Amino acid sequence: MSDPKLQEKIIDALKTVQDPDLHKDIVSLGFVKNLNIDGGNVKFDVELTTPACPVKEQLRTECETKVQAIEGVEKVDVNMTAVVRPTEHSQPVLPGVKNIIAVASGKGGVGKSTVSTNLAIALSMTGARVGLMDADIYGPSIPQMMGIPISSPKVGEENKFFPHEKYGLKVVSAAFLTKQGQPLMLRGPMLGGIIQQFLQNVEWGELDYLVIDLPPGTGDVQLTLTQKAPISGAVVVTTPQEVSLIDADKGVKMFQQVKVPLLGIVENMSYFICDGCDKKHHIFRQGGGKTLADNFDIPLLGEVPIIEAVSEGGDSGIPIVMSNPESPASQAYKDLAGKVAAQLSINQANSGEKVSASFELDWKS
Amino acid sequence: MTPPAPKNIKQVDESTLGISWNDGHDSVYSVKNLRESCPCANCIDEWSGEKLIAPGSIPNEIRPRNLKAVGLYAIQFDWSDGHNTGFYTHELLRQLCECEVCKTKKMEN
Repeated sequence: MSDPKLQEKIIDALKTVQDPDLHKDIVSLGFVKNLNIDGGNVKFDVELTTPACPVKEQLRTECETKVQAIEGVEKVDVNMTAVVRPTEHSQPVLPGVKNIIAVASGKGGVGKSTVSTNLAIALSMTGARVGLMDADIYGPSIPQMMGIPISSPKVGEENKFFPHEKYGLKVVSAAFLTKQGQPLMLRGPMLGGIIQQFLQNVEWGELDYLVIDLPPGTGDVQLTLTQKAPISGAVVVTTPQEVSLIDADKGVKMFQQVKVPLLGIVENMSYFICDGCDKKHHIFRQGGGKTLADNFDIPLLGEVPIIEAVSEGGDSGIPIVMSNPESPASQAYKDLAGKVAAQLSINQANSGEKVSASFELDWKS
Repeated sequence: MTPPAPKNIKQVDESTLGISWNDGHDSVYSVKNLRESCPCANCIDEWSGEKLIAPGSIPNEIRPRNLKAVGLYAIQFDWSDGHNTGFYTHELLRQLCECEVCKTKKMEN
């Protein structure tokens, strides 16, 4: 039997536990579920907005400590769960996808695909359902990085096709549409068509996060995606040096113009740790990502070091977060996943009233 | 600071569109003026910015048939004359506002 007084005390105690990102207590946020009191044994679920929550353990400990301190409580059992909340949209594209994350850069060669792949895997390692779309039509590299041999996708009903699957991720790439090693030679307007296919004709199923690896620049693919897909947020990848920042700056401004929320900046190839002296060498200069993030008042989501194993992972098809989860680069990617997921939850909580991307009005005369 | 975004878009009467913004501002538009302000490359020269719609060529009876969102940043109008290539960004719509306050401001400038 549950003692109503005790239940009240427990709820009061949990009301003092704040979610540091959403700035509200976990009771008002509706996170506390299935409270069960059996004598002195207390059990409840804390349902977060993402399994990738960076402060999960901190919240668990706080809940345990605060409830344990109540008189009459002998044992506390906190079960941390998560249900990813969708970014509001009801567009006909990607109906089962809750959040779409675009990974972009102004400049090529900064490691967008490496970041996208490792970010997607890091998100899925937390238990989320994740898809990865390789939107770099001219230079698709995701299949190589994911170790997926080139083969035609399985075709379903009504012209739909199924993504390839590896490491628990669903993967779509233009590389699967051609023979191994053959270039796709297309003029600009064709690119939009392929992207539309990826959005409308792929059986993605239910996904918590769809990570889209964009090609460099601010062209056809970026425009089609921002016009046709309800993107929840964008991550801009840069390397530290000025030459890269000029282009990354334009990437950020592109998303600002089309009103896609910026989740933050990732600085890739930030530094190299020498195995002889353990010193951080800032090969491409220092602090570029931070400067860019500060200029736009958006978060710097991570600084990923240069480590040989990162490229090795890309070439061998076993991304570093899987092959070497303890490496500093993997740690950076896992932190990145947590911050991206947290930032999406924050944006959803603050989105307020806005006309949605699905708005349509028929004029009556 | 984030620029204002439309909160609600509605038909006010046969020839008037209304937009309420998330910063509290309420805009009204004559749909004919909106058609004349179409920002697309057929209506405004891409390089010179010169207006290509001949004065008086838009009939008073022009109406939108349908409006829809373009991503998160613009509204596309499908007009009764068959024209539909203009994306009206939120900024542009805000500039075109014809409410009394905005009209007076424009006169002063």
